[in-house]
Amino acid sequence: MTPLLSVRNLTLTQKHRKNWLDKAQIEHFGPIEFDLNRGETLAIIGENGSGKSVLANLLVGAITPTSGTIKLNGEACVLGGHAEHNMKIRMIFQNSNESLNPGITVGSMLQEPLRLNTTLNERERIQKVDDTLRQVGMLRDHKYFYRHMLSDGQRQRVALARALIMEPEVIVADEPFAALDPSVRSQTVNLIMKLQRDLGLGFIFISHNLGIVRHISDRMLVLQHGMVIETGKTETVFNWPRSEYTQRLVASHQSLMPNF
Amino acid sequence: MPMLDIKNLTLEIDTPVGWVKALDRINLTLEKGEVRALVGESGSGKSLIVRAIVGSVPDNWRLTADRLSWKGESLLSMNAEQRRKIMRKEIAVVFQNPQASLDPSATLGDQLEESIPAHLLAGKWFWQRNAERKALASKVLHKVGIKDHQDCLQKFPHEVARDVNHKMMIAMALVSEPELLIADDPTRGMEATTKVQLLKLLTRMNQTKELSILFISHDLLAISSMANTMTVLYCGQTVESGKMKQLRKRPLHPYTKALLDSAPSFRKELPVKSDLSALDGTIPTLQHLPIGCRLGPRCPRAQKECVKVPAVRRIHEHYYSCHYPLHRDKL
Repeated sequence: MTPLLSVRNLTLTQKHRKNWLDKAQIEHFGPIEFDLNRGETLAIIGENGSGKSVLANLLVGAITPTSGTIKLNGEACVLGGHAEHNMKIRMIFQNSNESLNPGITVGSMLQEPLRLNTTLNERERIQKVDDTLRQVGMLRDHKYFYRHMLSDGQRQRVALARALIMEPEVIVADEPFAALDPSVRSQTVNLIMKLQRDLGLGFIFISHNLGIVRHISDRMLVLQHGMVIETGKTETVFNWPRSEYTQRLVASHQSLMPNF
Repeated sequence: MPMLDIKNLTLEIDTPVGWVKALDRINLTLEKGEVRALVGESGSGKSLIVRAIVGSVPDNWRLTADRLSWKGESLLSMNAEQRRKIMRKEIAVVFQNPQASLDPSATLGDQLEESIPAHLLAGKWFWQRNAERKALASKVLHKVGIKDHQDCLQKFPHEVARDVNHKMMIAMALVSEPELLIADDPTRGMEATTKVQLLKLLTRMNQTKELSILFISHDLLAISSMANTMTVLYCGQTVESGKMKQLRKRPLHPYTKALLDSAPSFRKELPVKSDLSALDGTIPTLQHLPIGCRLGPRCPRAQKECVKVPAVRRIHEHYYSCHYPLHRDKL
């Protein structure tokens, strides 16, 4: 069986120079390799500045990689373009509050990707928006709302709806639960798991919250200084961490766990 | 006598729909050397309590309290100068958004050195005092876990990462050797190792220097590892308060139970990928507060009586306010 998403040898080299006389600092990222099957969840963890967000941006094509291939269903993706298969990988940003446009209604926000990438006419687009809103547990009338009229949880749902509206096969989320309150967070986690069961989505997410990582992910990827230092089944990584950094991370998580 | 004693604190805000009680009869006490956690979701008024204690409440808000006292002296009847002195010497606050509360036009080093009070410096001449300040600043930075202090002190807040700013705020709070530390969401967005480091630091300060801590957060994992007592807030009302152990073992209020259940780490028996339990709906906004018990519309046990505000009841040291608490099975 071909995996849904297969990433091979993905690397990125960036040069930074503060001043044109300075020597350029070269940052290497990768190489990264992993496979993601249909309906599977992959968690990416790592310390700040370890390149988690870079990886997310590479996967959705916001940054062009220096080398490497990303294959979706066995076909190579040309990232960064507007080809159809690129619509199959969608992203949810870290702060749903700031990633929504305050000036337009939820409806037009959701219609935008459809208008730019599909040939649907207005009526079909509105129908699609209604369906997607219902899918994420909101009402049809919410398409007339502006951002400030929604609560935190509803904003997160809109961000999810915006990702879902292109009928993606993979969703990449950059810390989707960090800014949420406990009860809203549980609601969002439940919603994502339900959508994943129903639609067979591949879900890749970045998180600091190891409790949630352990609960919802099938496999995980540990990054440090732009390199993959550990990958494997979540239970395996949590029970038998191999690298020193992961051991420290898991140990600190365990030390917080209550002992009943 | 408790160090910080708050009784029936009410804060009213003038909104277009009339005066709204943003805080409704909050009770909170803090003994010397105690770590009290204040738990609640955003919009439950945690930060407003901090502002009420600190005294940065705008003039057009109405603040009333039966008691709001610090070491037996009423904070409400003090003048601004007395209050400022207490805030400088005895209480330190770590605010929620470090990026916004640090001065963008001064380096982190300048800001940290400015927050060192004069009575901690023994030097007679200014160069001696400057050297002492520098030494103290780098010492406190090592304590909070910033290794590269030279580099960090010369930078501006926007040049360093968010969590470094956060540690900087904590360093600024701890450098004046306060008796009470109010930490408003200090572990937000931190990764597990840094978080544990910070919690260890605070626990150590608590044990060695008898620092009392008011730990405001909704990270239950962090709270349960360090707090002795816990107060749960919902929508500006105190819902339940008592010893951490008791609350965790046997919560009496439906909201506390929902909050505890929402953290998957607390429930080992929970199968992987099963649904987490969550209350329906979200926390109401200030303009649309329900009457009576504010949890009412979301509460699974709500009944007709819940439109009246429940009185505070107690079992030993465990206070709760609910008409139908969880230890009464019959509804």
